[in-house]
Amino acid sequence: MSTNRRGTVSAAAIVALTLALALMVAACSSSAPSKGAAVPPGMVDGALVRFDEPVTLRVLAHDSFAVSAEVLEEFERETNVRVELVQAGDAVTMTNAAILTAGNPVADVIFGIDENLLGAVGAARLVVPYAAVRLADVDPAYASVVEGGLVTPIDHAEVCVNFDRDAFTGAGRALPRTFEDLTAREHAGQLVVQDPASSTPGLAFMLATIARFGGGDDTSADAAWLRYWKALKANGVKVVDGWETAYYSEFSGGSGEGTRPLVVSYASSPPAEVADTSVAVDATPTGVMTATCYRQIEFAGILRGARHPEAAAAFIEFMLGRSFQADMPLQMYVYPVVSGTPLPDTFAKYTAVVAEPLSLPYAQVAANRDRWVGQWSELFR
Amino acid sequence: MVAAAPPLLFLAVFFVWPVATIIERGLHPDGAWDLSVFADVATDPSIRRVLWFTVWQAVASTVVCVLIGLPGAAMFARFRFRGRAVLWSALLVPFVLPTVVVGVALLGLIGPGGVLGVDLSGTVWAILIGHVFFNYAVVVRTVGATWMTVDPRVEEAARTLGASTWTTFRRVTLPLLRPALAAASSIVFLFSFTSFGIVLLLGGTAHRTVEVEIYQQTARLLNLDVAAVLALLQLVLVVAVLWWFGRSQHRRAVALEQRRAEESQRPAVGWQARTFVAGNLVVIGALLGAPLVVLAVRAFSTPDGWGLGAFRSLGDTRRGSTAYVPPVDAVRNSLQFAAMATVLALVLGACAAWAIAGGGGRVPRWSRFADTALMVPLGTSAVTVGFGFLLTFDRAPFDLRSSVWIVPIAHAVVALPFVVRLLVPAVRAIDPRLHEAAAVLGASPGRVRRSIDAPILGRAIAGAAGFAFAVSLGEFGATAFLARPARPTLPIAVYRALGRPGEWSFAQAMALSVILMVLTVAVMLLIDRLRPPGVAEF
Repeated sequence: MSTNRRGTVSAAAIVALTLALALMVAACSSSAPSKGAAVPPGMVDGALVRFDEPVTLRVLAHDSFAVSAEVLEEFERETNVRVELVQAGDAVTMTNAAILTAGNPVADVIFGIDENLLGAVGAARLVVPYAAVRLADVDPAYASVVEGGLVTPIDHAEVCVNFDRDAFTGAGRALPRTFEDLTAREHAGQLVVQDPASSTPGLAFMLATIARFGGGDDTSADAAWLRYWKALKANGVKVVDGWETAYYSEFSGGSGEGTRPLVVSYASSPPAEVADTSVAVDATPTGVMTATCYRQIEFAGILRGARHPEAAAAFIEFMLGRSFQADMPLQMYVYPVVSGTPLPDTFAKYTAVVAEPLSLPYAQVAANRDRWVGQWSELFR
Repeated sequence: MVAAAPPLLFLAVFFVWPVATIIERGLHPDGAWDLSVFADVATDPSIRRVLWFTVWQAVASTVVCVLIGLPGAAMFARFRFRGRAVLWSALLVPFVLPTVVVGVALLGLIGPGGVLGVDLSGTVWAILIGHVFFNYAVVVRTVGATWMTVDPRVEEAARTLGASTWTTFRRVTLPLLRPALAAASSIVFLFSFTSFGIVLLLGGTAHRTVEVEIYQQTARLLNLDVAAVLALLQLVLVVAVLWWFGRSQHRRAVALEQRRAEESQRPAVGWQARTFVAGNLVVIGALLGAPLVVLAVRAFSTPDGWGLGAFRSLGDTRRGSTAYVPPVDAVRNSLQFAAMATVLALVLGACAAWAIAGGGGRVPRWSRFADTALMVPLGTSAVTVGFGFLLTFDRAPFDLRSSVWIVPIAHAVVALPFVVRLLVPAVRAIDPRLHEAAAVLGASPGRVRRSIDAPILGRAIAGAAGFAFAVSLGEFGATAFLARPARPTLPIAVYRALGRPGEWSFAQAMALSVILMVLTVAVMLLIDRLRPPGVAEF
């Protein structure tokens, strides 16, 4: 037994050692292609670049990404590039996971970078700059957010407080319109929001209050925006972990099964609650408090270390093209950034255009986000 | 020792390495160790609050689970009643449901506007109820499977000698069940200790576990240094608790003369037996049944009224979109991944259990160490492992980050402890005299394993396979944090449907959950029947 045991110990050790060596050799021998050189344009003379040899392009996207199959086929036909989707988690988790492996990416192009993470994206050099040809078509309000073509804006979807119409007009009461209304006694116990530490819309709503009330530089518990949250708290605001819980379990409007008539959601949520355009504009089950909207832009970029940067550039141009832009609203419940893109009927009819949503420069968000979330948490934990 | 090598190597590569990598990345960022963050975390009073809450809610969840689960285990072990087999399989349904769906189901009962009229959301009660909902099956199926093999005549003998029911249980049955009970409670403890979805969904902002903190520091804020310290803290606590649990499990198990299940079960006759069975069924109905009914009701109530509309719409609403997941594909993907993970976990787990329990020989000295080590993955944060995978397996030819192989592997890491926990007590309970007798009669070691061990272990193997399959069906562990090519499973399809507003999205998510429930019951029934001939009776 004892000699037998010695023998087997060394056998196991040899297996382990071999495996470890193989892995180390593999780690040293791999090389990252496409370093340094600027990305060639994905579009030449008004047409997407076409590849002679078929290319497989990996697109990293969050779980909400969707596109019509026929629109995607259009891209594949035009360019001879086959698209393989790699999806995981929401925008923040996906972007952070990508930042962790910056320089050695799982894909070529990333879609859905959250505006609030642009600071970290730049610091980690997650993407290589690319100045899209079609950026010229993009509404300047979105095109000007990021300079130098680090990332390209693709869509926007404002975060706003949504209301359950029936709970107000059905009871003959006025709809709340402003941030101040939310702290009024008549709206006590009506609002549900998401925790900014765990939720993307939750963070956007917190940033909205900072943009609206100021005090972002104030590190004390008496910052102006925190005073507003104290008033919200006193008025019975409920905080939950994420959008799903807030919208489906707490909110009373539309498909919500809860009891609170006010919820932080998106400007594009009301059309999702209407089946067709026969419903009158002022009779939709839910609506948006436009004064509370915070700008949220989603960006795409070419990942540093991408195998096929040129095909990635072509895909970015394609996403700014007419067919993809027009396809996005019903696929992802977001708005196109290219001016003049036709909207689907339900969108055109039921979504209020948010003329000037609240916003903060992303550099300021990057520098202060952790502290703001910490200050907020002090109040709510 | 040979047998222990593959499972230990597997865990070293797919668990220890990624966890060590991400912790090193957090504490050793730019080529130098930066340990100042330890002081920051240690002096943060809110972290101390989080630690204290994590421990006590886990202890409370475990105690409640065991107190409610033990009578359930007794019922399944000792009584025959109609629907017993289906119920035994259905117990695992809560275990595989996506956390978001469990949140919807429980909030539909005890949340705002809930059926019961009390809003417990945001309270610790909601968290405890959630943990019991999830883990009831762990206690009942683990302890119940052992209880079935306890010869009822032993208990009857005690009764004949004048012991009361309580004394018989305490002095005779309980000691025989102790290894299984320790196994079940350590698993429940670890699950509650590292609970994350339930705490976030039901606990509101006031209740946070270490796991929630690690998730937020890692996935949301990418503060890997703070996350690393918290992950280490979690690890130390988990190992300490496991070591303590290991003591009660390690006491030499009593070799049992096992009985056929049919012999140890009887119909519920007499008012005491009937009340006992009825009481358990009420508990199961209220605890497990009611939330599942809420889901089913929501799946069948569509914007167009009652009916199968949501199920039908799964086939066409988003057809033509890349987000469209044909339900048949989701079912197939789920089953394929689960089958691969189960085979992997069973093979590795059987090797480990055999070595740890000293199958067919003396119990090796290192067995307690290996025993504890194999359990640690259950007590480790999924986001740590997931992000660790990203950092570790990132070079060809081992670039597993976006390979589909990562899915069954990650599931097997979580399933392995279940398999080991269920098999070790079973191997220990084999009477060594059976081996000796067989050897004396001229049986080769292989023949002994085939003819004596395999039949005796059959029930434990079936139970372990059930849990392994359920772990994978439920998408436990690190896979939620990994990007992977389009092979969506049922839980992933549920998450995608729930991420969109609108009546149809919600009804579809519920419909997919109902499909997952039915699939779970079907698979568990099948596994319970799949035992090789000659095994089923034990």
